[in-house]
Amino acid sequence: MLKLTKEIHNQIKAHGAASYPYEGCGLLLGRAENGDNIVTEIRPMENVWPNEAEKPIRFSIDPQAWQQAELDAMLNGLDVIGIFHSHPDDVPVASPRDLAWASWPGYSYLITQVLKREPTYSQSWQLAEDRSGFIEEEILEI
Amino acid sequence: MATIRIPTPLRPYTGNNASVSADGGTVGAALSNLTEQYPDLRQHLFEGDDLRSFVNIYLNQEDVRYLDGADTEISENDTLMIIPSIAGGRLI
Repeated sequence: MLKLTKEIHNQIKAHGAASYPYEGCGLLLGRAENGDNIVTEIRPMENVWPNEAEKPIRFSIDPQAWQQAELDAMLNGLDVIGIFHSHPDDVPVASPRDLAWASWPGYSYLITQVLKREPTYSQSWQLAEDRSGFIEEEILEI
Repeated sequence: MATIRIPTPLRPYTGNNASVSADGGTVGAALSNLTEQYPDLRQHLFEGDDLRSFVNIYLNQEDVRYLDGADTEISENDTLMIIPSIAGGRLI
């Protein structure tokens, strides 16, 4: 289960709207506890997908920037517990591309739909242990 | 012994330790020692003998691919970080 406040969820939605028509992305910071990922902060990240024309349908995060985010989070007693990104004008369902370029089971992959610059709703996913697909997880606003 | 910082989702495989110590004079040797200590971790870092394509190893602030890769020498005060490359997108 992914737990976050409505305020943080709204920050994520706002980032998706601001990034439109491109996919926006960032890191979920907080702690993993008893199988739940609990978000206490977000860290918006630049979408560094190398082809500008494909940014409405693609995102990537620079590993060097990720490393810096990990170090900053560590100083604040937080961990990177997941990734958020937006799907402009499409459902927030983890795609074959999301699967192909996923990393480890345990991270939450929170995806927010943005329709014509208006964020609508989010769904969260975790990679299956055998890496065969994504499994939806419940989002709980706390 | 160098220190290796473990990403959050891999900590269940290291006894929930965020950092572990590993023996070895190179990055490759330290990673081998890490996965000898925690065998269940190996599948998440390696595919066969190679690091999975999305796995990046940083020595202090440098990606070891731009140093000497697995042969990069390390000392006991060094810290290795395991950082994923993440990408995705809404269409095939």
